[in-house]
Amino acid sequence: MGLRELWLVVERDLRMFIQYKFLLIMRGIWFVAQVALFGLVVNKMVEDAATKVGISYFNYYVAGVTIITLYSTSMFIGYDIFEEAEHGVFEYLLTLPVSRRELVLGRSIGGGLRSFIYVGPLLVVVLFILGISYPLYLIIALASLFLFAFGVSGMSITIAVAMKSGDKYDILIGVLDALIVRLSTTMYPALYMQRAMPVYAAIANFNPLTYAADLFRWGTGVEGALQFSPLMGVLGLFIFFFAFTFVGVAFYERRLEGGGWQ
Amino acid sequence: MKAIIHIIEYDFRNFFRYRWFVIGLIAMNLADLFISAVVFTQMASASIVVNYFQFFAPGLAVVGLFASAFMIGREINMEVRREIHHYLLSLPMTRTELAVGRVLAGGMRGMLYMTPLLITNFIVLRFPTLPQLLLILLTLLLLAIGISGVSISIAVSTTSFEKFVTARGVVYYMLFFCSSVFYPLSVIQVLGAKGLGPLVTFAKVNPLTNGSDLIRSFLLDSPEYVFSPLMLLNVAVFSGIFAFLAIFTYAKILQRQ
Repeated sequence: MGLRELWLVVERDLRMFIQYKFLLIMRGIWFVAQVALFGLVVNKMVEDAATKVGISYFNYYVAGVTIITLYSTSMFIGYDIFEEAEHGVFEYLLTLPVSRRELVLGRSIGGGLRSFIYVGPLLVVVLFILGISYPLYLIIALASLFLFAFGVSGMSITIAVAMKSGDKYDILIGVLDALIVRLSTTMYPALYMQRAMPVYAAIANFNPLTYAADLFRWGTGVEGALQFSPLMGVLGLFIFFFAFTFVGVAFYERRLEGGGWQ
Repeated sequence: MKAIIHIIEYDFRNFFRYRWFVIGLIAMNLADLFISAVVFTQMASASIVVNYFQFFAPGLAVVGLFASAFMIGREINMEVRREIHHYLLSLPMTRTELAVGRVLAGGMRGMLYMTPLLITNFIVLRFPTLPQLLLILLTLLLLAIGISGVSISIAVSTTSFEKFVTARGVVYYMLFFCSSVFYPLSVIQVLGAKGLGPLVTFAKVNPLTNGSDLIRSFLLDSPEYVFSPLMLLNVAVFSGIFAFLAIFTYAKILQRQ
């Protein structure tokens, strides 16, 4: 496998990302509104409950929103794949002097990398708000978030490749987004999920967003309500990354054979 | 009137083309109620909200109403970009009839979508009396027409779909986060202490605040939410302004092109 060819595929996806400028601006506005309005107000509403588990809800929520943003931007790659299938760009991609494996793996890496680049400036703001207590922990947490972003891209590719209709993909992603975010610890501690409905807490235990959010909180020192030990979190994200990156790659590669995307 | 009814029928047929989109939207709304609201019920201070699930349910009806009434703008933006309005202009009706029909259709589609969410409210809270039900429906219809008007005004003023989506996002976040849809007006005061006083004032006059608090006044047995005719007046003024603006801008844009 040629690294240069792989990089060319990654670079193309990074350039493609810029075409979403308005959607990216909207995501940025969403982030600011979530933090500066929703986060501040809800913090007041749940102050007592947050104190009981030893956290500032505002800090807890800011870290969670960062993970939600990383997740949603990593999912964009699936839309690109549908666009390409609809506009006949797949055929062009297959004529390029890169192997299918390089093409597919490059897309997964590109999808994860570009979302990380997008979240970068937001991360700076978040770190300014939360502070950096343990630089080494933060580096480990950020490295794990790379795995998370690649894994989500792989998941998006897997779903996009498994579906033939762009509309159905759009709906499935919307519903999945609603469930995966709400059934995780990005917005509320597991203790309260357990109290509300034990099944919600049980699902959250297997949710990659829970691992990512917990690790990021551990890395930034917002660790009053961690669900897992950091080692478990890293392991969970590694399994998620490995499963979806390689499942996504295998699916996509097989689909490319014989015009299976048409 | 006949021409307006034809336009409404045309928009309703289009609405049902997006049935999967609507089903997805309902699923997301119900996830908000039956997951997030259930968990926040465990977390919210009883001194602020006695039962968050019950508090949020009326807000959810307004969220659904907004999302579906806003969809008309997405279609009109697409029609303007693809020049489908040339066909619409060839129809035997005046521009004003066309514009009025679109605004009303957007609002009525919002009402249709919101109905299952409102029924969910009645089931989980309580059933209103007939006069209360009529008042709720009237307020929500006015709100939906106003939202449809906002959506159409934005749709005809933006040249690309991306710009429309961005503008929709800004309007959505401003209207929802600065309202009592997700949290009581009393906690929004916290923004005033952070130097965001104008947002608190905005939240008080926000038609979404008035719409959701009006439903709460009839469905929650809480002394904090008491019906006031000013709530209805607020929504009616919002609806009147934006319906007129949408009719005017839509007719103007069609004329210009």
